[in-house]
Amino acid sequence: MERQIGRWLVPATLVALVVLACGGEKKQPATAALTPESTGTLTVLDWAGYEDTSMFIGFHHKYPKVTVSVAFGESDADIFGKMKAGADACTFHIYTGWQPFYVRDSLVQELDTTRLSHWAEVPARFKALGQVGGKQYFVPWDWGYTSILYRTDKVPGGIDSWTALFDPKFKGHISMWDDGPGAVTVATYVKGWDETKLSEQQLAEIEKMWTDQRKLNRFYWTGEPELVQGMAAGEIWVAYAWQGAYNTLLGQGVPVAYAQPKGGRNSWVGLYGIAPACKDKDLAYAFLDEKLSSEQGVGLISAFAYGHVNPAAYKSVTDTNIVKALALNDPTVLDRTRFTPIVSEADRDHFGQLWARVKAAQ
Amino acid sequence: MPAIEQRGRLWAVLLPPALWLSVLLVAPLLLLCAFSFRLGIGGSLFGGWIATLDNYRTLAANPSFLELLGLSAGIACVVALVATLLAYPVAYYLVFRVRARAGVYVALLLIPFWISYLLRVMAWKVILGSGGAVNAFLLWLGVIQEPISVFFYSRYAVVITLIYVWTPFVALPIMATLYRIDRSLLEAAAGLGATPGQRFWRVTVPLSLPGVLAGAVMVFIPTVGEYVTPLLVGGSTGAMYGNLIQDFFGRSANWPLGAALAVVMLVGTLVLVGATSRISRVERFFQ
Repeated sequence: MERQIGRWLVPATLVALVVLACGGEKKQPATAALTPESTGTLTVLDWAGYEDTSMFIGFHHKYPKVTVSVAFGESDADIFGKMKAGADACTFHIYTGWQPFYVRDSLVQELDTTRLSHWAEVPARFKALGQVGGKQYFVPWDWGYTSILYRTDKVPGGIDSWTALFDPKFKGHISMWDDGPGAVTVATYVKGWDETKLSEQQLAEIEKMWTDQRKLNRFYWTGEPELVQGMAAGEIWVAYAWQGAYNTLLGQGVPVAYAQPKGGRNSWVGLYGIAPACKDKDLAYAFLDEKLSSEQGVGLISAFAYGHVNPAAYKSVTDTNIVKALALNDPTVLDRTRFTPIVSEADRDHFGQLWARVKAAQ
Repeated sequence: MPAIEQRGRLWAVLLPPALWLSVLLVAPLLLLCAFSFRLGIGGSLFGGWIATLDNYRTLAANPSFLELLGLSAGIACVVALVATLLAYPVAYYLVFRVRARAGVYVALLLIPFWISYLLRVMAWKVILGSGGAVNAFLLWLGVIQEPISVFFYSRYAVVITLIYVWTPFVALPIMATLYRIDRSLLEAAAGLGATPGQRFWRVTVPLSLPGVLAGAVMVFIPTVGEYVTPLLVGGSTGAMYGNLIQDFFGRSANWPLGAALAVVMLVGTLVLVGATSRISRVERFFQ
């Protein structure tokens, strides 16, 4: 008996391990029309803060039995790396500048926009940002600014320049985002350079700027909640920030203002893509479609002070702080906005190495 | 028992862990090495492979990366040394004084580890942060005029936190060697007129050295590549080599360069630990 068990144990273990290793990929289920009774799980790779149900409240109300499972990325590079490593995400959220890399590496599928009932409400300017090679791969959704957020009680004179991040006056109370390309963008605004055409000498100067800035900087924040906590605690007075942090802090009653620096605010547009490996594309399309509705837009703008691609939402926003922060009452604001450009992969590598050298400097 | 049956059983026992290690340790290490010779991460993970030494050239062209590796090894040495010095009296007390109830004390020692590491670091923040208890106390005393950040968001904070994290773990291998010391040797030393101090320095310490070195090595190896603690408490100036690797695999999406950095660290650590082990014969602990 023991011999029989011994004889079968090894091949049985091998077979079991091989089956486990192969993963036994399930055949994609036939998709059916969604109803309020539909169930399932939609996996989304997103940024910290976007897991809040109000970020997809329309979808949640329409399909209450569907679970939205959110995994986090802390930067565009991190999300790209996770998608490349085979993250189990049906849809994912990136920002302007990274679109071509997803198409090049087949990490995103071309969209059938006829499945998006709100697509016609999105301005062509935003739609174009989701196209690569004339094909629509991404659904634009949120937009906003990068600027300097500061504590008005600690900086009563206000801030009107990006140089505040390098001001020794604020030593120990500055916080920069932990991101090489972001750091390069700020430096080019300070210097008035084009970040897509930087010489070796200019890059060296940028590196020195940030290396010198290290002793003024308290910590490099990696997620918005970390920054919000630091500012609320009074540890941070001046920070590189998105306007979502501004709104969160205002909501907490923290005295903060969002600067209009001389070099202009940087702007970005968030885009959602659907992974080719997504097993339930009906859910993914329904999720993105609901995100484009003006009702969702009002919710996003009012709750988080983020812009939304559906302009029909703007007129319903009554909070004057938000209208001011996003300049929603200025129809020309997007014409004057400095959107993050697409830089080459080689430049991104250079920016990443530059930032690593800044952090490694003794 | 027939030899063939014995072999079958041996295979049945060894095969699952061997496969497990091959799939989850050896294969990723080989992949890491292979990636360090890859040009960029464009294309599929296993296709479009262009072999290059560029990543190692980039590493050589950035001396600050290797300097940070040296600094991280230095930090790891300090952490291992201090954690060992702190753990030794604890282990000694538990083995030679507490004895029967040592298990209870060891459990007490490890209780903090039942709590999430992030929560414990947050607790440190409450104590050491600019609005924390230490700063508030110093302000109240009038020793400082405004909160100082040396306790938190600095390299000192990284070292202090790592020592706190590792000390209880180092106590365990030291305890194991102290338990194994033949008490008759101490009795013989006493019989020959050795004082308690002489018995400790000339019998206990030499016989416990393998455990001490094993504990120190156990701390040194993971600390060289540490990245979570510097990220949480290191601030702008407390980065360690592991943070660079993490950055290249995460924020910079430059896996090949990150892999080259990791391979250099791995080889450097293996050489250092191999040399230490050879000199000190730390393997005696495992015999």
